[in-house]
Amino acid sequence: MLKTTRCAAAALALAFAAAADPPAGLSGANSSAELNAHALASLKGKTVAWLPVNMGVPLTEIWTKVMREEAQARGMKLVMRDPNFSTTAGLQALSSLIGDKPDLLVVHNPNVQLYAKELKRAEEAGIPVIQVNMVSNYKTAAYIGPDWNAVGRLLGQEVIRQCGSGSGKSGKVSVIQGELTSGVSIGQMEGLNAAFAKDPSIRVVSSQAGNWDANKAHDITATVLQQHPDLCASVGFWSTMEIGAAQAIKSAGKLGQVKVYASGGEGKVDCENVDSGLITKVLSYDAPDQAKAIIQVGSFILQSGARPDAFRVANFSTLHWMEKGKYDPALCYDWTL
Amino acid sequence: MSSGVRYNGALMSGGIARRLYHRWSLRLFLSELLAKRWMEPAIPFVLMLALIAYFGAVTPNYATWGNARQLGREFAEMGFVVIAMALVVISGGIDLSVGSVFAFANLTALGLFQIGQLPVLPVIAGTLAAGAAVGAVNGVLVGYFKTRPFLTTLVTLIILRAVVDLLSQHYSVQLAMGSNTSALWDFLGGGALLGIPSNLLVLGIVGGVGHVLLSRSRPGWHLTAIGSSRKAARHAGIAVESTLCLTYVASGMLAAAGGLFYAARLSSTGSDTGVGWEVNALTAAVLGGVSLSGGRGTVARAVIGAVIVFVLVNGLVRMGFPGALTSTALGAVLLFAVGVDVKWAKNRVKAIQKIYLNPTVVELPPAPSTARDSGTPFAENDRLRDSEEIGLDQVEGPEDVILDRQDRLYCGTRDGLILRFSGPRFEQREVFARIGGRPLGMAFDRDENLLVCVGGMGLYGVTPQGKVYKATDETNRSWFKLNDDSRLRLADDLDIAPDGKIYFSEATIRYEMHSWHLDGMEGRANGRLICYDPATRRTRTVIKDIVFPNGVCVAHDGQSLLFASTWLCSIFRYWIDGPKKGKIETLIDNLPGYTDNINRASDGCYWLALVGIRSPAFDLAMRNPGFRLRMVKQIPPDEWILPGINNGCVLKFNEKGEVLESLWDPGGRKHATLTSMREHKGWLYLGGLENNRIGRIRLPDADPDWNGFDDYWRKGKA
Repeated sequence: MLKTTRCAAAALALAFAAAADPPAGLSGANSSAELNAHALASLKGKTVAWLPVNMGVPLTEIWTKVMREEAQARGMKLVMRDPNFSTTAGLQALSSLIGDKPDLLVVHNPNVQLYAKELKRAEEAGIPVIQVNMVSNYKTAAYIGPDWNAVGRLLGQEVIRQCGSGSGKSGKVSVIQGELTSGVSIGQMEGLNAAFAKDPSIRVVSSQAGNWDANKAHDITATVLQQHPDLCASVGFWSTMEIGAAQAIKSAGKLGQVKVYASGGEGKVDCENVDSGLITKVLSYDAPDQAKAIIQVGSFILQSGARPDAFRVANFSTLHWMEKGKYDPALCYDWTL
Repeated sequence: MSSGVRYNGALMSGGIARRLYHRWSLRLFLSELLAKRWMEPAIPFVLMLALIAYFGAVTPNYATWGNARQLGREFAEMGFVVIAMALVVISGGIDLSVGSVFAFANLTALGLFQIGQLPVLPVIAGTLAAGAAVGAVNGVLVGYFKTRPFLTTLVTLIILRAVVDLLSQHYSVQLAMGSNTSALWDFLGGGALLGIPSNLLVLGIVGGVGHVLLSRSRPGWHLTAIGSSRKAARHAGIAVESTLCLTYVASGMLAAAGGLFYAARLSSTGSDTGVGWEVNALTAAVLGGVSLSGGRGTVARAVIGAVIVFVLVNGLVRMGFPGALTSTALGAVLLFAVGVDVKWAKNRVKAIQKIYLNPTVVELPPAPSTARDSGTPFAENDRLRDSEEIGLDQVEGPEDVILDRQDRLYCGTRDGLILRFSGPRFEQREVFARIGGRPLGMAFDRDENLLVCVGGMGLYGVTPQGKVYKATDETNRSWFKLNDDSRLRLADDLDIAPDGKIYFSEATIRYEMHSWHLDGMEGRANGRLICYDPATRRTRTVIKDIVFPNGVCVAHDGQSLLFASTWLCSIFRYWIDGPKKGKIETLIDNLPGYTDNINRASDGCYWLALVGIRSPAFDLAMRNPGFRLRMVKQIPPDEWILPGINNGCVLKFNEKGEVLESLWDPGGRKHATLTSMREHKGWLYLGGLENNRIGRIRLPDADPDWNGFDDYWRKGKA
């Protein structure tokens, strides 16, 4: 899997090289030294600014850890701001980062609108921007993360397999969205709806916002279970949040009876949760690999010397199903190590 | 007889450093500074500047125009919410729903604009109306139904938040994907006028107007009054219900205005929009010096607090503090602010009191002897012992007495009345006028109007029919003085020059009638001589910085003015006409007592009242400001060394300043604290600041027809 990403990144690099001005005369005996010199000079001492939605969860922690390692390996510096789920603080942090003029900006958008104008402003200020997982309505140089539409579709197909026509189940599904206007929620919801449209026996009995909060997911699910004791499946748009839903199902004594699906990239925690049977299946993306891709793509952008708005590309993360006993152990990273 | 004594008490001995030290005092400056109303938010203001300076120093690119603009744009919306909160807190309540209203307005504005596809102006109107409607719900409940603001707005907060969540559930994705645009909408969200972000500009206008309305208009005062005491405000006739209701409506509209700009700027319907803003707003308001208990605060203070909170949070975010720590820091700041708010409100007045009194050196030579066998004109005698009593127990504190052409006797009293005694033995008592304040010195003008210095009010007049009118209650304000000294605090005594100009003394501008003795503890040149010209109705200060100017008397020739300085035990002459016009001379100094009113005598001399008699101990205390300061601070007032006012003494002196004789009531059995005497048709009438009577004694050698009015206004006429 890792290889595919790297290949994709390499292909991307070629594309950039074609688009931007290559250093003159890269051929002949001296070309290797010149390429080295160009690559090193383009990256050395550069600053990568990174703005997650919050820290303290495995996903953003491992991203930050790996990005810092990868950036340092290339002679770059990573600065990070933690708004702690506050959109106000996030926006202020973004504005101040733009004011600080980093060489590359990496953002994790709380919703599709909030940062849009600021991202435009960043590009106008000459800062290339990479968006991770949660994309904005304003597209920038690169998006790195899953194709959420595909994630939704795959989750939907799995639900149909378990609860759809011919399964003998009720076909009732509860959906716990994240922040409603997050790119993650919007994309997964579209994919889910597209998948469910193909099987009329599926009934979405509840589709509510959990706002990435496990407590909220728990409360919603507990209520839904009382209204629909024959619920067939619960789908959550983030595994960390969906644990709350799973706990509610467990408390109701319906673990195993109600299937629990989620997308996520939480490493060890996801592995433990599928192993314990709390979550039936997690559709996972390799978070450390995403972090590497961010720095790689960023490195290419910096070397290309292209204008920040010269291109709009996406590097979709490869998706992996995880279920009890069946997953790639490489996905079980532990960010605390 | 005169030596180097100056009316302002300038020291005669010591080096220039000592003189300057005792003339100007840093404590004095500080105490007057603290007493200013605009000093209340001094700490927050300094904190704000310090924070900005600090982050400017440690953060790169902070102190740049571009960054300031960006910060201003981000700040403005919070500014609206803080003002919304502050208004309600000042009214004695609290509005916890501001954050929800903000989120609701954001959603409303986006809904009207993106889904309703309305033009911008109706969107603005609709959004503000939505905020006003929520405010009206709060206002009607709190104002008319008298529910508790805390619980009421808490419920509004929860209900409205639920409404926002429900609406978001249905519309937020649609809103987030909306693409309606308009130039005006973009201007609201990201435009600027003269380089100032649009939202900050509107905040500035709203804040400025709000500040003036709140601090300088009737509705604003009503609001503050209600916040101080709802009951008292009702008793004062303020429409408490409707004012409160409108306050909440205004609060709702302000929060909605914040939400509107937020919507235009970000088009974001994030679920945490406005969450927790009520706490931030409350922190900001309290931090800025808006008291949680109501009745104290201004819009400017709220904005100062808002800037502090904003700069602090923004600075911590910039410095890369983990998010949770930033919230903790804000909580700590709120705790600190509330603590300081309570302590400051409680102790500010005390702190001012502690440093308000600033004694200085008063150096008097040894007093002349008043012993019975001393042979001086001051020798004690019993000439006032057998005075006749007038109005015994019918008057309270006739500081000054005066008689009219019909031989009726007038005096002011402690309760703000002018009494008139008439009849052969003055047995008839009537209330001639009710002025209020503390009537002190009196004089008749050419038209027989009675002019009265009223402590706490100014210079007033009473027509012969008993109608009270105000002559003046303010003078020109002196430059470079912190205390606004234009209002008259303690007009003391007056006299009227031949040209009709009224000269009067204001004993002190630092103390009130009830604390005049503290001015004595201070011994500082806090008084002044003021002239009011009835012809032009103009008032101006003639001499500034006089040590407790008291009695004022126009000399017999009408060319000069005599005034007494109580703590300096001296009389000065101020030339108002003739070749020496404008000059000030020392006429008498080093008297054995504290000089009070001066009045003309029938033989071309002057009468002078001594309100107290000097003692070596008190003289020594006056030389030692440090001693007096310790005394005032460390022991209760009834144990202080004070001027001896348990004596009655009247002196007579001539035009050259020679004291001719004295009349005593030793021990002050009948006339303690003797402050005034008035000669009239062969009698001398005696008034006292604390006395329960007026006295009179026969003056056997005096002209039995002489009276003050004729001497002033009918000289040389029939």
